[in-house]
Amino acid sequence: MPRLSTLAVFLAALVLWHLASNSGLVSTFLLPSPRTVFETLIELAGSGVLAKHTLVSLRRVVSGYLLAIAIAVPCAALFSLTPALRRLIEPLLEFLRQIPPLAMMPLLILWLGIGEAQKIGIIVLSCFFPIFLGVRGGIAAVDRKLIDVGTVCGFSRSEIMLRIVLPSALPAIVVGLRIGLGYSWRALVGAELIASSAGLGYMIVDAENLARTDIVLAGILVIGVLGLISDHLLRGLIQRKAPWLAGDLEMARA
Amino acid sequence: MLEAHHLGKSYRLGDREVVALADVSLSFPRGSITTVVGRSGCGKTTLLRLLAGLEQPTSGELRRGDGTPLRTGVVFQEARLMPWLNVTGNVSFGLRRRLPPEVVAERSRAALEAVGLSAFTEAMPNQLSGGMAQRVAIARALVMEPELLLLDEPFAALDAFTRRAMQNELIAIWQRKRPTIVFVTHDVEEAVLLGEHVLELDRGRVVGHEPIALAFPRDPTTAEVNDHRRRILAKLTASPPAAAAPSEATPEAIAT
Repeated sequence: MPRLSTLAVFLAALVLWHLASNSGLVSTFLLPSPRTVFETLIELAGSGVLAKHTLVSLRRVVSGYLLAIAIAVPCAALFSLTPALRRLIEPLLEFLRQIPPLAMMPLLILWLGIGEAQKIGIIVLSCFFPIFLGVRGGIAAVDRKLIDVGTVCGFSRSEIMLRIVLPSALPAIVVGLRIGLGYSWRALVGAELIASSAGLGYMIVDAENLARTDIVLAGILVIGVLGLISDHLLRGLIQRKAPWLAGDLEMARA
Repeated sequence: MLEAHHLGKSYRLGDREVVALADVSLSFPRGSITTVVGRSGCGKTTLLRLLAGLEQPTSGELRRGDGTPLRTGVVFQEARLMPWLNVTGNVSFGLRRRLPPEVVAERSRAALEAVGLSAFTEAMPNQLSGGMAQRVAIARALVMEPELLLLDEPFAALDAFTRRAMQNELIAIWQRKRPTIVFVTHDVEEAVLLGEHVLELDRGRVVGHEPIALAFPRDPTTAEVNDHRRRILAKLTASPPAAAAPSEATPEAIAT
């Protein structure tokens, strides 16, 4: 449960928003009151429009995020185990890392069209590096002294990897996973804003074209809440499965 | 019986070759307890890592009894516990998946009892004091039922009271189970209190061997213990200290 003070801060932001929109200083067209936005939200929810767009976006985030994990984790493990490969490829990856995923959008649209593949592609691009670097960094930082313990116990290479290296690297991996999750939401909405026919980003840009600021704000709220919920679920999972990592999680505030 | 024949180990450091151990020939009789003493950098940790199989010698060879590998337990200077496992998980770390679970549980319980930690089976490493963590590390070595138990300055980071208690515990365990023990230390008193044989190591070479025929547990304040200490110190300080390590060369530094 969130603390009372946290709730108070959210409430204060809501009150400020209400005051600003009712003060007459800003046009209610540009900044509709919280009340209007919530009414719109209920209307969108009631008509099924919100659920439709949310499900489309959620499906993209989940598949893109899982695909990124499926690519980044083995890549990072492979690089960690074969230093020669790492020295060869890493400069190229460093170059690619500097390119904002959204700058790749035009190219992705040309290559993959404007369907699901392009949306998922942009999510993979944006959360690959946090996850990859988390795993790489975690494995690189493993204490050699703990590996000695495994050697002395007569462990094989794969046993050392599974029972010492991976658990040791877990804090850094978890940080990468958490940052990656946040990035995947940002990239998705960006992609949906530019070229899409469904999804929360599309809902927002469509509302902008119709001058429906209330829907724009409702969409933004939903994205924020979904981000918070997914982060909360990931944290909950980690706290239940690996309680000793709870402290390391705070590093992942991106 | 564990024997080292002309054992040598050198490292490359840039374009320089550093000799950590040169031409060391030793034998450790089955069931004996041998302490190895010398100043920092004399090669004692290298000797232990070679005995543990953590490193390969650059010259010479190790012979282990009839040729079958000895079951070996190692206790390092730091506890080196896995932070994600509780005390029981750490103690049984080397055993799991090799033995039936009930055997693992029984052996872990017995090892924790031997080091007096039966009440802390569920504790996590970050909840343990330095002395308790080191006991867990000893239990982790004991649970392997080692024929050869190697200890690298295991009590160096502990306060004097805990150290004394742990030395007595180690002797008690040795008397019960009779593994072959090689115990490395820079503390001459500790070497005399624990060793049936004390080996003096200096700059990668064995410079002396002192048999100590006193009954256990030994009292550090007796004249006999003091005589042995004095003789060992004299041997270790007789050879001029290495020029590379002037700060560690004074007799005081060795005696502490």
